[in-house]
Amino acid sequence: MYIFKNAFRNTVRNRGRTILTGIIILVIAFSSCVALSIRQAAQTAKEEALEGLSITAQISLDRSAMMKQGQDNSNSSDSSDSKKDFAKMMNESSLSVEDMQKYAKADSVSDFYYTLTTSVNAVKIEAVQSSYSVNNMQSSSSSGSDSEKSSKASSDTSSAQTSTGNAPAPPQGDMQGGGGPMMGTQGDFTIIGYSADNAMTAFTEGTSKITDGQVFSQNSSEAECIISEELAEYNSLSVGDSIVISNPNDEDETYTLKITGIYSNSQSGVQQGGNMGFSTSSDPANQILMSYTALKAITDKSESVATTSTNDMGIEQSSALRANTEGTYVFEDAESYEKFEQQARALGLSEDYTVSSRDLSAYEQSLTPLETLSKIAGYFLIVILVIGAIILIVLNIFSVRERKYEIGVLMAMGMKKGKVALQFISEIMIVTLMAAIIGGAAGAASSVPVTNALLQNQITASQEASENMEQNFGRPMGDMPDMSSQSSEDAQANDSSANDKSASDSGSESQAQQPPQMQKTNYISEINEAVNLKVVAQLLGICVLLAAAGSAVAVTAIMRYEPLQILSSRD
Amino acid sequence: MAVIKLENVYFGYEKDKDVLSDINYEFDEGKIYAIVGRSGAGKTTLLSLLSGLASPTRGNIYFQDEDISKVNKYDYRSKMVGVVFQNFNLINNLTAAENIALSMDIAGSKEPSTAKKEKAYRLLESVNIPREESDRRVLKLSGGQQQRVAIARALSHDPQVILADEPTGNLDEQTQEEILQILKRLAEDGKCVIVVTHSPEVAKRADEIYRL
Ligand SMILES: Nc1ncnc2c1ncn2[C@@H]1O[C@H](COP(=O)(O)OP(=O)(O)OP(=O)(O)O)[C@@H](O)[C@H]1O
Ligand SMILES: [Mg+2]
Repeated sequence: MYIFKNAFRNTVRNRGRTILTGIIILVIAFSSCVALSIRQAAQTAKEEALEGLSITAQISLDRSAMMKQGQDNSNSSDSSDSKKDFAKMMNESSLSVEDMQKYAKADSVSDFYYTLTTSVNAVKIEAVQSSYSVNNMQSSSSSGSDSEKSSKASSDTSSAQTSTGNAPAPPQGDMQGGGGPMMGTQGDFTIIGYSADNAMTAFTEGTSKITDGQVFSQNSSEAECIISEELAEYNSLSVGDSIVISNPNDEDETYTLKITGIYSNSQSGVQQGGNMGFSTSSDPANQILMSYTALKAITDKSESVATTSTNDMGIEQSSALRANTEGTYVFEDAESYEKFEQQARALGLSEDYTVSSRDLSAYEQSLTPLETLSKIAGYFLIVILVIGAIILIVLNIFSVRERKYEIGVLMAMGMKKGKVALQFISEIMIVTLMAAIIGGAAGAASSVPVTNALLQNQITASQEASENMEQNFGRPMGDMPDMSSQSSEDAQANDSSANDKSASDSGSESQAQQPPQMQKTNYISEINEAVNLKVVAQLLGICVLLAAAGSAVAVTAIMRYEPLQILSSRD
Repeated sequence: MAVIKLENVYFGYEKDKDVLSDINYEFDEGKIYAIVGRSGAGKTTLLSLLSGLASPTRGNIYFQDEDISKVNKYDYRSKMVGVVFQNFNLINNLTAAENIALSMDIAGSKEPSTAKKEKAYRLLESVNIPREESDRRVLKLSGGQQQRVAIARALSHDPQVILADEPTGNLDEQTQEEILQILKRLAEDGKCVIVVTHSPEVAKRADEIYRL
């Protein structure tokens, strides 16, 4: 077709015009390609991360809501009422296993397990002391005797620290959901009872491993336990030995546990959910793991022998072991999780409780820099396209005016307007395609390094922001959204209850529960592949759109032109 | 037989200002017509009407007994008439040969491009443009050369009617003579040749003179 030949010839002959248009489209194509790649990378990373994510959720008491309620009550009624409310709140705080199991019947739940956590002291054996907890202890409000008792261990810290960085943390470290440990005396050890093997996530995920003996049997109510290598080494314990634990509220109340296994932990870094981080018991090395049934037997027994006293705040306190039950709901995917809350409410979950997923929050958090970047890339793309389109339109307005005479001649020679328009469109398309291919190729080649560099910037920026905040606060800020909202709620509770003793006490208590060092979020910091067929198609679409904008200008002009006017008004 | 017939043709660029009024004329095949008149008389305007670039405000123009207001103007221009414009109207960034080949393309020539090129060279040679000049962009040719390229282009699609606006205006006597010979040959071949001219020399060679 001569029209295309003509178009091609014109783009080659009018080098100046071609190069000018070409450079503009090249720049647009390059930036669009990078921006699209970033968006695609974010999308891919999101999908991939979500694919590999098994989502678990917990139901916890909406403490701040209750606190507010209590606050409202205390404003209108006398203070004994508010104390009663507070006590009631403390008692009600933990859902019973039966309740948890009820909600586990929701369709969306694929699995459910639970743990029981309690804090104890031990007779004859010493808790492993890492510098991690020593450092924090100096500034913490944790009991002095603890640090006294374990200070001799701190000479051994270097080895302890490196090896104890990580033990199987309780799968759900959220102690705030339960009233247990926060009201009684904190022990040196944490005992966690698991309802099922799959509740022991550190083992199922492979970060913890039995190195000697075997895991306690799940159904036996016999007091079997497993302990960490560090604790075993430190106290020269081995499989088959027994340890005697005692109730921190009543040192005479003791229980004997049989060690069936010793485990090691391979994960390094600070474990998530180090919520009880202020004391020795928070050290993963000092966690004693048992079956739920076995631990429940102990706490039940403790309950039965407990004595009750009233503290200076007028709140009744039992000497029983503080036990905290936490249920974990497992979901196949994010959608099931989204449905869960509604289903649980339908099954009777009261509004005092909230459903939250730490996995999902961490997942969302890990994507934040990439998503921020993706959002910026999106705006950038729009700006580029708008500016690009304007430039191309203006350029084409000038170009078609400059070529008015040529258009007139072609039409005078009998070339139909449609064909003239087609020739002009072809010329724009040829330039656009060439520039798009070069710009797109350059964009594709540099999109991965550019994205990673930008991503690194973004991550540094968010890290700096949180570091600044930590400096300003003098303590770590919650890194995770649910955590940070928790701490802000706590702060709010503090503020609003400045003249309410009981509430403010509990506020600071729960703040003391904040770990000394939050988990550093594992941001997605690198992408490997950004340009795929979708990006190519999108890029092509963008270029065609730009070419269309330019063509539209040319075509409108051509349709308006009449050869007689053009040719007779020349010179 | 009349190839083109004008019947009570009126035309004005602006309303109520007729440049041409009540023109009645017949152009036969095999003849050379000279259209003469003072500058601004409307000679170029008449050619525009004949070439289908403009339509009469009143009256009718017939091409081979068919009202040209009813035929496709583009087809009419590209196939039926060959126009040599007063200011040539060549495509500046194409070579002489390409301008001619393009004209053949627009006329719908199905010949292979080598054949078209060959034909273009021959046409250009017939108006005294040698091959080496044929491959230069027309912008780089002299006014006289451009004029001859325009004439060659008007003949490229072998039209029934040749309309030429001052085709010899920029030419020396010898070239003018050569052009007149070409036009004469075309008339002998049965074409209708209509030439606008100020030159009495050219008018003298015409079979008929129409004075505006
Ligand atoms: N595009 C136009 N718009 C308005 N008026 C026009 C236009 N072209 C020509 N005219 C007017 O029409 C009249 C005839 O012009 P035309 O070009 O036909 O004259 P001409 O006989 O060809 O003159 P010349 O010998 O100088 O070429 C003139 O008065 C001119 O001003
Ligand atoms: Mg004229």
